[in-house]
Amino acid sequence: MAGTASLRSEPRRALLARFLAAASGAEGVEITALTRLRGGALQENWALDARFSGGALDGGQRLVLRRSAATGVAGSLTRLQEFAVQKAAFAAGVSVPEPLFASEDPTIFGKPFFIMRRADGTAAPDRITGDPSFEKALPALAERLGRELAHIHAIRPPRPDLAFLTPPAETGPIRQIAGFRAYLDRHLAPRPVLEWGMRWLETHLPPPVEPVLCHRDFRTGNYMLDGAVLTAILDWEFAGWGDPHEDIGWFCCKSWRFARLDREAGGIADRTPFYRGYERQSGRSIDPDRVRFWEVLASVRWAVIALQQTARHTIGGDLDLDLALTGRRASECELELLMLVDREDCRSDA
Amino acid sequence: MRDLPSGAALLALARDVLLRELLPLLPEERRLDALLVARCMAIAEREAETGEAPERELRNLYGAGGDTDERLRRFARELRIGAFENSRDGEARARAILWRLTVAKLRRSNPEFLAANGIDQPGGVVGRAEPCPSPVSGKRSMPSPAAKSSS
Repeated sequence: MAGTASLRSEPRRALLARFLAAASGAEGVEITALTRLRGGALQENWALDARFSGGALDGGQRLVLRRSAATGVAGSLTRLQEFAVQKAAFAAGVSVPEPLFASEDPTIFGKPFFIMRRADGTAAPDRITGDPSFEKALPALAERLGRELAHIHAIRPPRPDLAFLTPPAETGPIRQIAGFRAYLDRHLAPRPVLEWGMRWLETHLPPPVEPVLCHRDFRTGNYMLDGAVLTAILDWEFAGWGDPHEDIGWFCCKSWRFARLDREAGGIADRTPFYRGYERQSGRSIDPDRVRFWEVLASVRWAVIALQQTARHTIGGDLDLDLALTGRRASECELELLMLVDREDCRSDA
Repeated sequence: MRDLPSGAALLALARDVLLRELLPLLPEERRLDALLVARCMAIAEREAETGEAPERELRNLYGAGGDTDERLRRFARELRIGAFENSRDGEARARAILWRLTVAKLRRSNPEFLAANGIDQPGGVVGRAEPCPSPVSGKRSMPSPAAKSSS
């Protein structure tokens, strides 16, 4: 977290206040609070309270400043690109914190950043999946999340405002598998289970579909609840064109069920309400075989991300303990791969 | 011969002090960090106690030449190209190694996750040759590459 103290220094605050005033058309802006929020392994989020005098945001505002962390993971969007995706989602009716301003100027806050409104509530996945006070509201929440995902998937190419996104032909499962293999080839330790899982994927590819905007990290832990009410879908840095079932498989895969492995829709409900919300809003049916394919891919992908996270420690020198431990989770994904693909065989052998 | 208590025993003791005596003294916002430290210590402790797996099976597969890392690398390379898919026997052997490898890793890094998936339940038999998970409710299984290639 080196350097974050200096971001709170007076000269930095003054620069940031000037930026906010110019961007919003205010006569002046006073920053009343600026604190780093916990979490966000790939990005830093700062709670920013400010008083605007005049302009589009006149009055007191509760905002979030989002900027890249010291070390990153390849394949994620830049902050300005993420800003554009979030704007498109906001316009499409997705519950997303309204994105307000973005800046590439590193002199203001050390790195490119963007500013959005601050949503209330918690995103803590263990609480959402484990706190009995949420229980009764969870099936309705799953249905609502299905509808939210359908809104995201209503964004289709071509979109001039999202022209920076990799063309759909280059984001499909074959390319993803090639990317994972390339990463594992550079990784120190061999991962036989991931190799086996990728081979299964390669021999079970589903036929291509019309691409949609995929969030690519739509899961419990990346939405906020105020009470039991959904207030925001967060973390758009991996968004791109793809098969809508990719997001559904990611949401349902075991890695994101936290306290409730038995509740297959994000640890909050069974799949029925989630699928129902999605199908009603989108007018399209979910193909369970496709979802299963993407769930297998999700296990491989999360394992690779976990290894990459830990490489930020072992190779990148980041001293964060959480990052150092994340690589160990790759084995959890590997167990899930074995269970998803091999369970029947295993049972018949026993 | 190393001095006693062993490194693993010292880690276990230190972890106990951390969780029982130091954790309650920490401010709320630092407790998660202490739990992460405890988790690191538990992994190190278990790693100090157990050897690499599944060494024996890999030796049976590839012979005694080279070291475990080399055998594991070769195994991974061969899985990538589907080298075990030609015979049911070879594939079953490969899968058995994959299971053992994964379960051994999780025994060190996250035994709770194994238990939550119906493997190595507390009080249950630990160390089966081929751990077989209990069914997870409602989860449908998928055809294996073997099933596909033989159809």
